[in-house]
Amino acid sequence: MDLTALTECLSSASCMVTQVTSGFIIGMLLFLVAVGLTLIFGVVKIVNFSHGVFYMIGAYVAMTVYQATNSYAAALLGGALGACGVGIIVERFIMRRIYSANVLMQLLVCYALVLIFDDLVKVVWGPEFKAMGMPEAFRVPPLFIFGGVVPPFYLFLIAAALVIAVGLALAINGTRFGKTVRAAAHNPTMVSALGINTGLLFTAVFGLGCLLAGLAGGLAAPVRSLTPGMGFSILIESFIVTVIGGMGSITGALVGALLIGLVRTFGALGFPLFTEALMYMAMAIILIVKPTGLFGREGT
Amino acid sequence: MSRKKLSAISRRSFLKAGAAVAGTVSMPWVASAQAKTIKIGFPTILSGRVAQLGNSSRNSAMMEVEKINAAGGLAGRPIELIARDTKGQPQEAARVARELINTDGCELLIDAEASTGAFAVHEVARDLGILCMHTNSETSSLSADPKLRLPNAFRCARQGVHDSVIGGIYAAEIANAKNLTRWATCSPDYAYGRDTTAEFVGYLKRFAPKVEIITEVWPKIFQPDYTEAITKLIQAKPQALYSCLWGGDLTSFIDQASIYALFSQMQFYAVNMADYTALTAVKNLPPGIHSGNRYIKTFPATPANATWGDAYRAKYGEYPTNWSWQNALCLNFLSEAAKKANSTDGKKLAEVLRGLKINSPFGADGTVTMRAEDQTIVGYAIGWGTTIPKEPYVPEMKTSPWAKVFELEAEWKKQKGYA
Amino acid sequence: MNTSLRKDFAFALAGFLALALLPALTSSTALLDFVIRCAALGLFATSLNLLVGYGGMVSFGHGLFFGLGAYSFGIIMQRLGMPIPLAILVTVIFSGLVALVVGAICVRLTEIYFAFVTLAFQMLVHSLIIALSQFTGGDQGLRGGIPRPTFFGINLADHSQLYLFCAGLLVIGLLLMRHIVSSPFGYTLRMVRDNAKRAGFLGINVYRTRLTAFVLAGMFASLGGVVMSLFVSGAYPEFAFWTMSGEAVFIVMLGGTAAFLGPLVGTVVLLLLNDYVTRIAEHHGLVLGLVILFVALGLRKGLLDYVMDWRAARRIRAEEAHPVSALKGD
Repeated sequence: MDLTALTECLSSASCMVTQVTSGFIIGMLLFLVAVGLTLIFGVVKIVNFSHGVFYMIGAYVAMTVYQATNSYAAALLGGALGACGVGIIVERFIMRRIYSANVLMQLLVCYALVLIFDDLVKVVWGPEFKAMGMPEAFRVPPLFIFGGVVPPFYLFLIAAALVIAVGLALAINGTRFGKTVRAAAHNPTMVSALGINTGLLFTAVFGLGCLLAGLAGGLAAPVRSLTPGMGFSILIESFIVTVIGGMGSITGALVGALLIGLVRTFGALGFPLFTEALMYMAMAIILIVKPTGLFGREGT
Repeated sequence: MSRKKLSAISRRSFLKAGAAVAGTVSMPWVASAQAKTIKIGFPTILSGRVAQLGNSSRNSAMMEVEKINAAGGLAGRPIELIARDTKGQPQEAARVARELINTDGCELLIDAEASTGAFAVHEVARDLGILCMHTNSETSSLSADPKLRLPNAFRCARQGVHDSVIGGIYAAEIANAKNLTRWATCSPDYAYGRDTTAEFVGYLKRFAPKVEIITEVWPKIFQPDYTEAITKLIQAKPQALYSCLWGGDLTSFIDQASIYALFSQMQFYAVNMADYTALTAVKNLPPGIHSGNRYIKTFPATPANATWGDAYRAKYGEYPTNWSWQNALCLNFLSEAAKKANSTDGKKLAEVLRGLKINSPFGADGTVTMRAEDQTIVGYAIGWGTTIPKEPYVPEMKTSPWAKVFELEAEWKKQKGYA
Repeated sequence: MNTSLRKDFAFALAGFLALALLPALTSSTALLDFVIRCAALGLFATSLNLLVGYGGMVSFGHGLFFGLGAYSFGIIMQRLGMPIPLAILVTVIFSGLVALVVGAICVRLTEIYFAFVTLAFQMLVHSLIIALSQFTGGDQGLRGGIPRPTFFGINLADHSQLYLFCAGLLVIGLLLMRHIVSSPFGYTLRMVRDNAKRAGFLGINVYRTRLTAFVLAGMFASLGGVVMSLFVSGAYPEFAFWTMSGEAVFIVMLGGTAAFLGPLVGTVVLLLLNDYVTRIAEHHGLVLGLVILFVALGLRKGLLDYVMDWRAARRIRAEEAHPVSALKGD
């Protein structure tokens, strides 16, 4: 334990800026993966254990597009659409069949998907780790804000994730699609009785979740190494986020993700050896005190 | 590599009898060609995050097997290498190793497993008494700890403590010259990372007494994000940073640290940087990273080494890894030992292997020795130098004589209670 | 002794004799190894099914007890040198105590929340195993081999005796679990699974029933861990990682949750698949994944459940066709 380092940092503006932004960076990428998970769970009622696959696909496609076009915007678009496309195919041909099955059967199918896609990535892109490299525009020295260090790429990353979070919240609360989604999350039979095509709705939500995961993959690609099975490590953390925030809640995913990000960065200062354990403890405590998570609805 | 399964039944029945007679006597009812072949089991990791370990190990092993077979085989018997995936799980490694011996009739084992898997295979070797060559585990205790030692298990791989002695001397020289006293470390939080870092720091301080470690960060192995580690390092403002992160972890650390301009604020000593996969994966390699050699075809700067590296590249379309040379060297040792013993019997091979010195492109002086006392290789080339982002990547390698390594290693063994 | 228990006992005895005769028929060590691994994972998966199939509690953290069993047994043998049966007993009781503490917290929750909280505890224990390296060997696992002193003339260093011992543990473990699920407690547990509220109205202490099941499952899982540590002669942190729990869930689903022997069937099938596919295919994940998809989407239930349902359906058809003869046969 190193509590002096922690208190020193809490009283220094430069350290706070650095730590808080880095907490946001970790949190924002987690949020993009977790929000898809939570959306899918809320509407489709599937615990998508294969969500990490779409993050991986997004990252790999983004890298390939970037190498071909040298445009990061195109890479992000490609990653998101690629993951979304694969997601829709998976939903149409596989997930669709297990909506009524129990959670274990869903787990089994997701496990199979993880095995299949990890191997497919290995076949297509090779077994060795890859790196995409930083896009030209962001190869600039970091900014100094109140003495804290903030890389411009991370500012972009946080901004992009925030825009998505806000856009998503507006879409869910303001549009017809959003209303249907919320209604479906609340009572799917009623929605289908009203003549809304729930099959199409489920496909759309699943595709949206995968699109966000793919986008997260594309955003992470410049700074993380790409390997088959890279979705595995982000998956468990995303689950912790959704459980803490409340399964099915978008606000919960955002708060949970930021919480985990901050726990990681400040935990690394104060309890360097127990950062990992801190996350699991946070999850266990929240589950015991409020099983539905911070923002979860009771009885869904 | 795919094996034909048509002989599955005959192989099993052959094995049943073969196991009973220790595999050296050929059975009259088995086709002579089959009995003549010597099978070598090759448990390794071919899937998941470190699949490249298994792939590049198998590639180089196959390359050497072809050479040996073309030259008449192992004491006259052609080698059939049977590589199988252990998925990096120790219980799978144990299972696969046992199956390779018991079912497939392998008479020798090349254990190309990493970390925990190597210890699991080590226990199988203890159980079944088969000759086992560890080719990828760099954890020092595997061969240094007398409690773990087996007469039938050898290590043909570099070792953390050797790297650290040479690295410590190299870094201390620069630290003394440039007055770098404030150091930090950032290494993966597991046995290899902790031991190697402690050893490096120990030797650095010994040769540069003014050095102090002002902060340490220990990210988890395979951690996707190092932001918290990087910011902690930046807060501490050290003059130099040591890391034994490796593979994809090292490259993501570099990518993430680059955008914080970390490398313009401190010197970076990364023992595992000078490996072609890592060097080519990082798109914007910051100049001037100090690194130990993993595998570089220009070090040692001999024609034999360059030829070997180029041959591998010509065959597989990429440069070899550190794991590649270790596995190639292992087959060279086996081939040489079989020649000397004029036999493929595990016990006789082990007898000859102890203390065997062979010519090798990977030796510091053109030879590598299998040290008798702890059955591990010594005399392989270790060097440190600064990297540049294009070939030859490390233009100049500095090294220290092995005599120095032996002296400090002996001290370290005493300290650890190994000797 | 009632008839069903006697039948189970006879069945178990026959099973053990069949396993005991196996070495006489074949000299393949690999086959015996296969049975030992089946014993380890079979006990582990069947114990999980006490929770999943009979209790309706989907645990994602059951590997905690598998790893705990392997580590406790290994550490006891390496440090204290107890006789093996005593060490196994201590291990199982210790795991039961840990299960009591963890279960007391976890079984209040249900469904996916129960799953996640068990996962959280498992990962905590996994981090502990790695952190307490002076006892556990940290991430490198328990090294140096587990000593196997002779007891009652049984020498587990001898492979065929180890085989018989593990086969014996499997059969005894399964018999005990079978006894548990067909006891009144087993029926109470099913009632709690089907409708906890109604069970509560009937005066059943739902919490205590669930907790008892959790403790029992933990104890049998640790027995599986003991067998695995005997097989690999060590213990590794992977045993307590969440992938281990995932594998058990997967086995249970593959074999079936309704039939008692479903998890054992699942174990045999998964290990066969795994061993065979890794031998012949470079991209074994792809092959294995497709097979699983087929089971999940094609059969929509575990293998043994599928067979049982199919047989039941056939019997019903037969009864409909020949109502009189069916009556006679009863």
